[in-house]
Amino acid sequence: MTKFHLEFTVNGEARSASVDGYRSLLDTLREEMGLTGTKKGCDVGDCGACTVMVNGEPVNACLMLAAEAQGARIVTVEGLQSGPDDLHPLQEAFMEHGASQCGFCTPGILMMAKNLLDQNPLPTDEEIRFGLSGNICRCTGYTKIFEAIRTAGQRMAAARSADAASCGCGCRTEIRVKRREPISAEG
Amino acid sequence: MTKQDFRIVGKSVKRADVIEKVTGEGKYTGDYHWPGLLHGKIKRSEIAHARIKHIDVSKALAYPGVKAVLTHHDVPKVLHYGSPHPRSASCTKDQYILEDKVRFWGEGVAAVAAISEEIADEALDLIEVEYEPLPGVYDVDSAQLPDAPQIHEVGPGGNLVIPPVHVERGDVDAGFAKADLILEGEFEGGRPVPTYMEPNICVADWAGSNKLTFWTSTQTSFMVRGALAEVLGLPLNKVRVLVDHMGGGFGAKQDLFQHEFLCALLAKKCRRAVKMEFTRRETFIAGRSRHPFKLKLKQGFRKDGTLVARDMQIIYESGAYGSHSPGVTTVGTFSATSLFRVENVRVNGRAVYTNTPIAGAYRGYGVVQTYFALDIQMDEAAEKLGIDPAEMRLRNAVREGDIAPSGHPIIGRGLEACISHGIKAFDWAATRDNPDRSDPLNPAIRKGWGVGCEMHGSSAYPGIKEQGNATVKMNEDGSVTLLTGAAGLGTGAHTALAQIVAEELGVTFESVSVVHGDTDVVPWDIGAFASHTTYLVGSAARIAAAKVRARVLARAAEKLQEQVEHLRMVDGIITVDGKPGQSLTVFEAMGPSRGIPAEHLIDTGSYNPTKSYSFAAHFVEVAVDTETGIIECRKVMPVHDVGRVIHPIAAQGQIEGGIQQGIGHTLTEDYIIDRSNGRSLNAGLVDYKMPLSMDMPDIQTIILEAAPDPGGPWGAKGVGEDPIIAIGPAIANAVYDAIGVRFHHYPITPEDVLNGLRRKAAEDKTC
Repeated sequence: MTKFHLEFTVNGEARSASVDGYRSLLDTLREEMGLTGTKKGCDVGDCGACTVMVNGEPVNACLMLAAEAQGARIVTVEGLQSGPDDLHPLQEAFMEHGASQCGFCTPGILMMAKNLLDQNPLPTDEEIRFGLSGNICRCTGYTKIFEAIRTAGQRMAAARSADAASCGCGCRTEIRVKRREPISAEG
Repeated sequence: MTKQDFRIVGKSVKRADVIEKVTGEGKYTGDYHWPGLLHGKIKRSEIAHARIKHIDVSKALAYPGVKAVLTHHDVPKVLHYGSPHPRSASCTKDQYILEDKVRFWGEGVAAVAAISEEIADEALDLIEVEYEPLPGVYDVDSAQLPDAPQIHEVGPGGNLVIPPVHVERGDVDAGFAKADLILEGEFEGGRPVPTYMEPNICVADWAGSNKLTFWTSTQTSFMVRGALAEVLGLPLNKVRVLVDHMGGGFGAKQDLFQHEFLCALLAKKCRRAVKMEFTRRETFIAGRSRHPFKLKLKQGFRKDGTLVARDMQIIYESGAYGSHSPGVTTVGTFSATSLFRVENVRVNGRAVYTNTPIAGAYRGYGVVQTYFALDIQMDEAAEKLGIDPAEMRLRNAVREGDIAPSGHPIIGRGLEACISHGIKAFDWAATRDNPDRSDPLNPAIRKGWGVGCEMHGSSAYPGIKEQGNATVKMNEDGSVTLLTGAAGLGTGAHTALAQIVAEELGVTFESVSVVHGDTDVVPWDIGAFASHTTYLVGSAARIAAAKVRARVLARAAEKLQEQVEHLRMVDGIITVDGKPGQSLTVFEAMGPSRGIPAEHLIDTGSYNPTKSYSFAAHFVEVAVDTETGIIECRKVMPVHDVGRVIHPIAAQGQIEGGIQQGIGHTLTEDYIIDRSNGRSLNAGLVDYKMPLSMDMPDIQTIILEAAPDPGGPWGAKGVGEDPIIAIGPAIANAVYDAIGVRFHHYPITPEDVLNGLRRKAAEDKTC
């Protein structure tokens, strides 16, 4: 079978691979890129465990062909933190609140939660629930996941306003706190 | 030790394994890479009960990329048990790896290994199977008819998995004679499946030696080792089972599955590593479910609400193989002797084979079914006798000294504490007396409130005489390694074990690391199930840690020239009572000096528990839409007695997750089998409806330390299974409170609600 030459950006890094035309983005990330943080819970788009960001949009990586990701900017859970010791506030909050039990759904939920907070920095409880409606967690009853997302959102907002205040000119320009940002810019 | 004396136990320390889960670095079985890995797939039967007349694999074998095909002709013909608990009641040897017979739709008939998953899949279609159909039985009633087709040649006959389990105490007939009120009811329940997020997966590799290395997502790695070794004819030290992170199990990953044997055999044949990974669909078809059940319950009550007699019969549907049916039937049947105290009790439980998918172990293990019935009938009796339902439960709750299902006396008054606490915290009386049951946003809504109770053992005793083991190693710098065979399903058990070791030893939590999941390295373990890891392995870890501490202090006493009883170790520093200036680090006490090597500090702890019981009362609010029939569970207040909480957030997480699954099996979850041909109708996450983020109620968890058990570390008892048990009847009782329609089954679907309301309207009219 003809292989497809794929070039894209993964977690800020230019990557390429030679993949079969039928290969999903999920299998490509896991098998070809060695990025096994993204999980396969159903392979048919029902569970959300494989959620990654593609050009700034959350996507079920199992439902996207690798070929469709040609030239795309991908962020996986491995790209969520900005350095080995610089966890994303969502990751910190998930640990503190016990929002991850078996952890198999966690990477997908973290990516979806990141998307939610990027779009809506201080979501209401209903918005958090709706934002996660495509992600199955079977361990936690979601309660602690909701708490963690709420906490992370508040901390990120506080960090942003603290930072904006420190700008000193009163411009309200959002200056991103470096250690809180992932490698790739599209977020 | 009082609570404030704890430094680590009772605190929600950061789970050591969670950083790997949130960064994506944690390795689940499917995340490793093996050079030259082959992919295995299973050909599944398309008929529920048949003899295989002929199976032709020649086309599959000739397909490019296929490395091996196995049928029943190629595998050892050893009868094994799907539930591999040695020395346990849970043993029914009724299964071959492959046989010339199939007993359920979807059973494996052949296995293929190929260079890719896709090729393996395509090869399955090239296998030609000729079946001779056999008459099938698809429900427990027809399976028990005298002329029913027999599904197994082994066993007691009559499609029974084991002889009926019968328990009788007191004089039941005399009890009923004393009753002012006798209630009789029939109950039944569907087929919920655990639906862990990580589909079953294993990798087998024989390369380099005649030794099998086997990575698998299992709760019971030593049981997998034992069953593989037995069937493959290997000594135990030639099978090494590995599991690091796993994506849930909820009981079902205790079995040894057909694909695990086949994976090992394919790898042996190919001399290459072979991976077998279930599709989500296969987790339904070839996974394990809770046992569907049918139950008859008759109870007698005095006017004051006192229960005087109970007679119950339950039939558990085992499906095509025994799996955990012996254990589930025994535990479930015995559980019905308790919860609400009764001197005169007669209970009978059966497990019956049918040509349907296999029911196995699933959180709540036979007890979900029986307590669903006990708790609903308790509600009915309360209403008939004009007693508040929560008060009714208080009057009948098991208490100190009553005989538990295990035959032991109950310790403490945990159930009463949960009920009493919930009555206050939920503001039960005022809430239920509120005549306004409407919802301002939707006139079709009727609100209702209900309560349900449960108790559950923190071990499998007496069915299995369990043993917990732990090895604690202390390095000369004061850092500590705990070796445990207990699996990390995701509950946080390893963190709890590390807390226990740190507390007992006198070191910081951070200085303890946990090594697990390698049967060649860690001490033998029975597996993570029966809500027992903290109770059982926690006690063993505490014993091992105490031995190590004693040795450190003995050496320090020599160096300090002090009496050992005057020494204590806190955060790894050894101090002398009353002498603030005197202290030693572990390194100073144990490290090398003048040519003497550092002291080798390693000790083991073993613990054989009997059993403790945890208790809970769940208070719920539901909103029933009388136009759509949809039941919304809006609020749950679970009150749990866990004896001693080791890690509050992890314990809460267990409770909240159990409630999620319990709401599911009560309202929406049912793995449906076509009762005319045994086919699965909804083997997927879209058609099998679980409660997700939009469906979860407000949960206000309350954890009590009401009845500590002397058998657990500082009184700790289990919590894993408990929360899934009480929520079901609490919801059913609340639905009755809302709309006046009584349901004796789960799941209670919108259709059931609408039909119930119509029936009630017709009855009200006739009255």
